[in-house]
Amino acid sequence: MAIRRQTLVLATLLTPVTLFLGVFFLLPLLIIALFSFLTPGLYGGVEWAFYHWNYGRIFGWADDIIEVYEPIYLQILARSLGFAALTVLLCLLLCYPVAFWVSRLPNRWRMLFLFLITLPFFSSLIVRLYAWLLILKPSGILNTVLIGVGAISEPLEILYTPAAVVLGMVYVMVPFMFLPLYSAVDNLDRALIEASMDLGATRLQTFLKVVLPQTLPGILGGAVIVFIPSVGNFIVPDVLGGAKGLMIGNLVEQQFLSARNWPFGSALSMIVMAVVLAVLLGSTAAAKRKGGQNA
Amino acid sequence: MRNPIGWAALTLFSLVFFLFIYAPLLVIIGYSFNSNPVNMMIWEHFTFDWYRGLLGLGSRAADANNRAAYIESTDQMLRALRTSLTVAVVTTTISTLIGTATAIALARYRFAAKGFYNGFLMLPMMMPDIVLGIGLLIFFVTIGMNLSMLTIIIGHCTFLISYVFIIVQARIAGLDPALEEASADLGASEWVTLHKVLLPQLAPGILGGALLAFVISMDDLVITYFVAGTDNTTLPVFIFGMVRRGVKPEINAIATMMIAASIVIAALGLWLRARKTE
Repeated sequence: MAIRRQTLVLATLLTPVTLFLGVFFLLPLLIIALFSFLTPGLYGGVEWAFYHWNYGRIFGWADDIIEVYEPIYLQILARSLGFAALTVLLCLLLCYPVAFWVSRLPNRWRMLFLFLITLPFFSSLIVRLYAWLLILKPSGILNTVLIGVGAISEPLEILYTPAAVVLGMVYVMVPFMFLPLYSAVDNLDRALIEASMDLGATRLQTFLKVVLPQTLPGILGGAVIVFIPSVGNFIVPDVLGGAKGLMIGNLVEQQFLSARNWPFGSALSMIVMAVVLAVLLGSTAAAKRKGGQNA
Repeated sequence: MRNPIGWAALTLFSLVFFLFIYAPLLVIIGYSFNSNPVNMMIWEHFTFDWYRGLLGLGSRAADANNRAAYIESTDQMLRALRTSLTVAVVTTTISTLIGTATAIALARYRFAAKGFYNGFLMLPMMMPDIVLGIGLLIFFVTIGMNLSMLTIIIGHCTFLISYVFIIVQARIAGLDPALEEASADLGASEWVTLHKVLLPQLAPGILGGALLAFVISMDDLVITYFVAGTDNTTLPVFIFGMVRRGVKPEINAIATMMIAASIVIAALGLWLRARKTE
């Protein structure tokens, strides 16, 4: 009786999440997979017939009568991966020293700066991006200041370039890198660092052989958390990027909201999903191997 | 620190880093009080005009046309804010209920699919929002469901359940199961133990999860953008539209008010946490 009672409670607790995520999370993902193999209709809809040219357009098999292969799609995919990787790298270079600094502060100051780094989590993403629009515009604050002090005579054209996109992504992603890094740095065993220095290792050797391996899980965690939302991002390139800053997310958005080719858009987002799954599986495997070594 | 020069350099670097994070927000706040409507980068003089315009107190002695434009955008903004709040409240309620139930089930019961659930619940947080957004859009259109506030709410819940789950699960992990065992030994039923022993101890975690869900729901742009349809606009989507159409001085005022609101919410969260640890 008690056992049956427990099963009943468990079923009651688990049914809502199973139904909800089954219907509204799993099914939509499966439908994307399905749509990516359907024929685009003439006026925006779909025809329920198998069609592999959606992928052909992207990866290079195409019958010129049906669909045209354009290398631009792979180029934009490569660019998206590159921008995301650069964002991870820059976030890491910015956060690593700061995480060290914050972890060495007296308690009261440490709390203040930890609060300051979490505050952006609570403020609107679009508002924070919009600020960079104000700063980078040709008549924006950066150019006004630089011209004012005589550093340049013509406004710099930063807005609507790849640099602006990466800058914007670093800006919105940096708190996500900071927190996992901080917890790794904060848990560092300082006795090991002192031992390494006492035994005659140089600062560089100590960093490479002691500090870096110990903080690697934090680096890896932060990198995954920053990389994944960056690859599929379309808001940042939409607001700050021009034609040269276009990313795969913008392509997907265009296919759904202006070009109205849903099957092609689905094929493009299957690629985003594949990249994300590859990164997740890869990082899990890496974390496991690291864990295995330590054990 | 053995090396004072190194420490000074590190301090300087870190302070520049925090300046990098906060300067853009200060720029917005500063310019929201600038009266120059043509080039807001050039300081004219201090004004509350943009705030007045937004709040429907249009004091600018401009022509009637201009006034009408203000009133229209004020109306739209307030409607977007109302939609955002409604969506956030409903979403927070649903995802807190489901997320908490899931966390309890996974922490307190043993069953075969537990590992699967633990992994599966990470996916909605990791899935890029554009993929989830278009998946939901195709799904709703295919089953013939009109895009409405309901579809926005469903969209938000799909990933917020996982956030609440994580927070509540962390709280359960810190609890002593002996209390619940004692309750069961003393003859309380499963439900009574849940209700009288477990839930009260979980309250701070549930509150924290709900607060996080509320904040993320209020700020969600991408999923809402795809599943909102034409009649419903939330505040972030409304601002996104304004930013896309071109920079207008009113955006500074809206943005400043949103920054102020986020500071209040963050402070509230901190206060709750401080109370919890007391």
